[in-house]
Amino acid sequence: MESLISISNLNKSYGSKKVLSGVNLSLSAGQIVGLVGPNGAGKTTCLQSILGLTDFEGDISVLGHHPRKDRVNMLNDVAYISDVAILPKWLKVSQALSYMQDIHPNFDLEKAEEFLAKTNIAHNDKVKALSKGMVAQLHLALILAIDAKVLILDEPTLGLDILTRRQFYTHLLEDFYTEEKCIVVTTHQIEEIEHILTDVAFIQQGKIVLAQSTDDIKARFNLVAVTSEQIPQADELQPLFKNSMMGLTTMLFDNQDKETLQGLGKVSVPSLADVFVGVMNKETC
Amino acid sequence: MTPQWDPEKPIYLQLYQQVVTRILDGYIKEGEALPSVRKVAAEYQLNPITISKAYQMLQDEQIVEKQRGKGLFVMPGAQELMLDRERESFLSHQWPEILNQISRLKLSAEQLLSANVNNPVEG
Repeated sequence: MESLISISNLNKSYGSKKVLSGVNLSLSAGQIVGLVGPNGAGKTTCLQSILGLTDFEGDISVLGHHPRKDRVNMLNDVAYISDVAILPKWLKVSQALSYMQDIHPNFDLEKAEEFLAKTNIAHNDKVKALSKGMVAQLHLALILAIDAKVLILDEPTLGLDILTRRQFYTHLLEDFYTEEKCIVVTTHQIEEIEHILTDVAFIQQGKIVLAQSTDDIKARFNLVAVTSEQIPQADELQPLFKNSMMGLTTMLFDNQDKETLQGLGKVSVPSLADVFVGVMNKETC
Repeated sequence: MTPQWDPEKPIYLQLYQQVVTRILDGYIKEGEALPSVRKVAAEYQLNPITISKAYQMLQDEQIVEKQRGKGLFVMPGAQELMLDRERESFLSHQWPEILNQISRLKLSAEQLLSANVNNPVEG
């Protein structure tokens, strides 16, 4: 697959506080990548570096452009929704559309209007009259109408109800995604989009601790329900995570032989959230 | 609506099986189109690659065929093909196990035939 974003040895400090250390990531066309980490792990800083919104050390190439030196050209093909995305309260929807059309060479007004027609947003509505969910939809309309190759979404569904969150991803998959594009998304609601993601990068304290396709992650990690007699043997295989409940201990294993694990108890496939919790726990131990 | 997926099996296989079952049960008829990858992805909240994989399997097994620019269509004879295959698989895999269980439980033909088949007990 064609690589659209490559990051190597990305470092970033705010004063003496190191927020990103040695981040390497390569993102290709067709991928929908979840950048997942606890608050303060460096997700937003990482995205801001990719977008050229902040200085950084290391190398980043986005569609062959340097995000700081070649930002204007880069932004022809990159779209972004920030976690603090706000539109001016006094702005009318129609003004937002014509503004975008004036400033962005790849903005497709028809596509934005088509999208808005599916919502309850009217052209002469002002932003201040829209609900939080509608503002998110308007944002999405403006962004999806840009025929971008890279779309970066920082907590795009934060504070939205489940219906609106679902609609957001429905539109993303139906109206935006193609195999030539790459979407990067950060979210805390990982269980809601786990099947949408093709790849995941877990970030903790400024470091990428796991970056892999969701298929490979499912093959690599196993949950085992271990009975109390088997716990000593199971412990030897160094579970990432242990949780005792109602007579069985659930353990998360990384890269252990499936047959050996079956000897310890019932093996099952963990969710991405399980893997996330396990991997994060291990790193802090 | 998003279906409940079995976490133990790859979703593309479950999706493939869903299409096969719906063809068998006649919900999707021969000559009918499958919904586009995009549509299924949006509706089921799955990544499109998962759906492409399932659709590719259906194509490889000649259950559906691609019509240029129009999408995938269930092939004529697909239902019969599925029936044959599922019969074969039942007779060679499930049936011997069921037979074993019947003889283990010493069930007679009369008992089996008089059992209420309209209210099968989940086991």
